[in-house]
Amino acid sequence: MMGGNAANKPVLLKDGKRVDGRSVEDVRPLKIVARVLNDADGSAYIEWGKNKILAGVYGPSECIPRHDQSLYRAIVKCRYNMAPFSGAEEHGRSGPNRRSKELSKVIKEAFENVIISENFPKTQIEIYLEVLQSDGGTRCAAVTAAAVALADAGIPMKDLVNAVAVCKIDGQMAVDPGKEEDNFGESDMPIAFSPRTGDVLLFQMDGMLTPEELARGFELAKGASAKIREIQVEAIRKVYDEPREERFLVIEKKD
Amino acid sequence: MEGKIVMPGEMISDKPDRISYAYVANGKTYSTVVGLYHEGKLVPLEGPYEPLPDDYVVGIVTEVKFSGYSVQMNCAYPAFLSSREIRERYVMGDALFAKIAMIDEVRSTELNDAMKLPPGKLVKVSSVKIPRIIGKKNSMIDMIKATTGCDIFAGRNGYVWIAGKGNAPLAEKAVKMIEAQAHTTGLTDRVAAFLKSQPQIIIDQGAGAPQQPQMPPQEEQHERREGGYRSSGPREGGYRSGGSRPHSGGYRGNSNRQ
Repeated sequence: MMGGNAANKPVLLKDGKRVDGRSVEDVRPLKIVARVLNDADGSAYIEWGKNKILAGVYGPSECIPRHDQSLYRAIVKCRYNMAPFSGAEEHGRSGPNRRSKELSKVIKEAFENVIISENFPKTQIEIYLEVLQSDGGTRCAAVTAAAVALADAGIPMKDLVNAVAVCKIDGQMAVDPGKEEDNFGESDMPIAFSPRTGDVLLFQMDGMLTPEELARGFELAKGASAKIREIQVEAIRKVYDEPREERFLVIEKKD
Repeated sequence: MEGKIVMPGEMISDKPDRISYAYVANGKTYSTVVGLYHEGKLVPLEGPYEPLPDDYVVGIVTEVKFSGYSVQMNCAYPAFLSSREIRERYVMGDALFAKIAMIDEVRSTELNDAMKLPPGKLVKVSSVKIPRIIGKKNSMIDMIKATTGCDIFAGRNGYVWIAGKGNAPLAEKAVKMIEAQAHTTGLTDRVAAFLKSQPQIIIDQGAGAPQQPQMPPQEEQHERREGGYRSSGPREGGYRSGGSRPHSGGYRGNSNRQ
């Protein structure tokens, strides 16, 4: 049990179907729109299940403060932030806290592996991730959106990164946990991949898994990662297939 | 522009080829950017401006120093324009058209051949779209100049300066249109049709109007745009721009000055 109250734990898996009717291999509905912010060099908006996240990329620009800058490469900076109104529960004051500082750090380190920073000495590349609505798996959605925003900014990268979580619900491994599965599941394991090589760029785990379960979860995540890459590529392609001079964001209102 | 749109990490050749904006891993070549790949050439569709010697840029004076000027030119590195290189004097906020004389490995940049731009408007576009805005042998930019009556200075850094008494809003619209559709084919014809469809404002420049300075003709973009992981090609004569290329200008009338 991770976070949820044991007393009101729902049945998470019934006849191979999960709470929202998905199978264990299914990813929640995923939609990405690239180039949505006027003033950012690159941007993306992602809706993944009920997650809604805006990603903005600025740079390479002069690295400030100066003592952070390197003569050999660009510094990657990342700010993951959850809006105070983003969750079902109150998130309290906005601004950096223990959790968002950790996520900013791990996301930054994931992207440091793929961004070709040697091309831009003395500069910084900033990634801003604003979670507007959260539904479990925001760090994975944020990484997926940030990769699209970086590609949109034209920052040279070795690969288009994406991330997906796997969980253990009622004793079975399933991909892409939603909020209920996240809160009441037995384990949660977000993984970011470089899809070309299969390299793991981010790996965290909460709860307990046997080596066999971990291997099975890894396999599920890899399968989902390939599908997510296709959606990312489609989002970037759409910018050029339907060229538009204005950048804007249309959030469809749902019920 | 024909070609296939490729994504970062997408294989563009199964041989280890030396291609700009690409990298080699396990004997194969992969793209590092969202770009158009066509017959061994990868053109990025988006990206920051990489200053290179001999680029003509539009810059803004951000600082007046004892011995020269600090110029902002749409990239992370401010350029320096020495007072010895120029006869005019500038103040903060002036827009310049200048050539990059030198750039070193930590991206210290020096400008020369500067001229102050006439009053006008700065339009910011993506630097990778500038060759499209200029067109083959200046075809596109000449067409916009002729139709709108504006003087247009397109800096390689993505700053476009629209000056003169012409139909500046129309020129700006045309520039924005080219930026949005730079990756498509038959763009010159579509821009021509667009310019024709818009209401024309005829401005009488007057016979006695003073001659405005003109942008020097841009030479064909040859294979010197380079980038990407360990893909820096050989640079002729190192980083400092030597005398290998003839001076293209004559627009200031003192190009023989050394």
